[in-house]
Amino acid sequence: MVRVKFFATLRDITGKREMEIKNVKNVAELLQRLYEMFGDEFRKEIERRNMILVNGKNILDMDGYETEIKEEDEISIFPPAGGG
Amino acid sequence: MYGYWGKILRVNLSTGEIKTEEFGEDFVKKWLGTRGFGIHYLLKEMDPKVDPLSEENKMIFSTGALTGTTAPTGGRYMVITKSPLTGYIAMANSGGFFGAELKMSGWDAIIVEGKSDKPVYLRIEDDKVEIKDASHIWGKRVGETERILTEEFGDKHVQIASIGPAGENLVKFAAIMNNGHRAAGRGGVGAVMGSKKLKAIVVRGHKRVEVIDKSKFISVVREKTEKLKNDPVAGSGLPSFGTAVLVNIINQNGLYPTMNFRYGQFEYAEEQSGEAMAKKYLKRNKPCYACPIGCGRVNDMDTVGETEGPEYESTWALGANLGINDLASIIEANHLCDDLGLDTISTGGTLATAMELYDKGLLKQDDLGDAPPFRWGNTEVLHYYISKLAKREGFGDVLAEGGYRLAEKYGCVDCFMGVKKQELPAYDPRGAEGHGLGYATDNRGGDHIKAYLISPEILGYPYKMDPHDISDDKVKMLILFQDLTAVIDAAGMCVFTTFGLGADDYRDLLNAAFGFDLSTEEWLKIGEKIWNAERLFNLKAGLKPLEEDTLPKRLTDEPMPEGPNKGHVVRLKEMLPRYYALRGWKEDGTIPEEKLKELGLEEYI
Repeated sequence: MVRVKFFATLRDITGKREMEIKNVKNVAELLQRLYEMFGDEFRKEIERRNMILVNGKNILDMDGYETEIKEEDEISIFPPAGGG
Repeated sequence: MYGYWGKILRVNLSTGEIKTEEFGEDFVKKWLGTRGFGIHYLLKEMDPKVDPLSEENKMIFSTGALTGTTAPTGGRYMVITKSPLTGYIAMANSGGFFGAELKMSGWDAIIVEGKSDKPVYLRIEDDKVEIKDASHIWGKRVGETERILTEEFGDKHVQIASIGPAGENLVKFAAIMNNGHRAAGRGGVGAVMGSKKLKAIVVRGHKRVEVIDKSKFISVVREKTEKLKNDPVAGSGLPSFGTAVLVNIINQNGLYPTMNFRYGQFEYAEEQSGEAMAKKYLKRNKPCYACPIGCGRVNDMDTVGETEGPEYESTWALGANLGINDLASIIEANHLCDDLGLDTISTGGTLATAMELYDKGLLKQDDLGDAPPFRWGNTEVLHYYISKLAKREGFGDVLAEGGYRLAEKYGCVDCFMGVKKQELPAYDPRGAEGHGLGYATDNRGGDHIKAYLISPEILGYPYKMDPHDISDDKVKMLILFQDLTAVIDAAGMCVFTTFGLGADDYRDLLNAAFGFDLSTEEWLKIGEKIWNAERLFNLKAGLKPLEEDTLPKRLTDEPMPEGPNKGHVVRLKEMLPRYYALRGWKEDGTIPEEKLKELGLEEYI
């Protein structure tokens, strides 16, 4: 079971802080499943810019949307955010 | 001249003399503003070896090139002086409305020198400048000081930069506050003001800052403001959740310093996140002057009423770094720090040092008497010691000297998590090594805001860089950030604009305001000059680069124990020599004469 955590505006869009999801091979597949579940609003927020971590590591430092996901992995998804 | 008035106010508090000095366009092209103006005067007029709390130290309150114009976020000012905390340069930056009002009063900067015998404040109403008695407000907190001075002035639009009891009592990390909760926070600039017995600067201006070609400037401002509004971070992320949106981001990325940088993740981060704050306490946003972003938070709590913040840094410093998870106490402590005039990062860092010493058995309960124990997570530490240290009462007198001196007193300098005696901010560089190089080389010591490598390493701006890449590309990026930040600071703009704007955008704004035709590279060269001049000041003040351009041992020698960055340290020794070389400096970290000449700094050697 993969654990998916949502942050900031994504919590309002999904109505959840986290959820579990089964049978996803990589980040692209996970996003596709989430788009189906949460619709266009979710997709738009993600497509503007995002930060996706697999076990705390940014997918951009790994294989991007092709980054593999294994059972027991924790995925953190952030909308565009910054500060200082 | 456009953008500036070409007028500097020089006030000598020893003699009471008030003078006007003038500058021209060449000075702007050379130093741009704020940090640039400040370092020029310090290098030119002051021995960098002076005691920071003596009358020989000078303070420059300076606006930037675009301060007071309609440029997005163009309302900032800086305070430049010698820091009592680090013994090196301090350049503290603040937003709110004071900077713009100062410019609108017809003064671009104020040089404060000497030392008054009795408490005074400076009253500026356009051309009329007076040194006034402040004995009736000496000892008052910031909120009360602002209330009384506003009432006395009889104009609610007056702007005030003041110190609280912390600055008066020469707490080494006292801040200068304006608009209640906006801080020229770091480096103990408030203590320097306190040492001069200068309680406040009160300013009201009725002049309009002019630019050379109004319609062109307006169109450039519109374009850049739109860019910021359309940027997902500046336009929606920051306004929605404020800077504390970073709590979850940095924690999930495994570099949220926990319990004095022992760990990189805090179990209860969620409870003190920007999301949690927005749900529980947020009343409204509060932007600074001319700011389209509006990241400021007005929170409401029964105990303190309406208050502002805490920002990300303060949330962390008064929370996770002490093992404290209680957001209500963090908000109260932040309010207290603002009202007493304390830098929240150094306050939290000092308390964390005390907790580390207590945990190690080096600081004993006997040393504290009946005062609360420095146990990790003990919220009473916030409620009790913050007031004590601002007043230098009891053990607060030891804390008021900052974390480094505290750690040294109890025989464990390695317990202090700071650089050049200044406490580190809210990113464990074992999870962002370029940012660690930034800490080590920052002219004002442990600091994140003069080169925010978290942007590329974690947030992906302007593009994503691997946080554990330490190639020359990373070192060059740090240098670019240091130089560009100096330009943004000197322009009087907020560094948060970098989420939506690039170096060319600042060039466009500056050229449009002044009618200059400088290239991006030429503006960046001014940033490089400012950085080198500040470094020159530090070297003259006695900086030993190879010993002091460093990080606490925990970060270079002790691998991160858990989380996404498990096993990582900062490979500073591999980066630092390349940083020196790419800066054009010598292997020992000093600046060769030819480099100083190349930058036009020969007159300061």
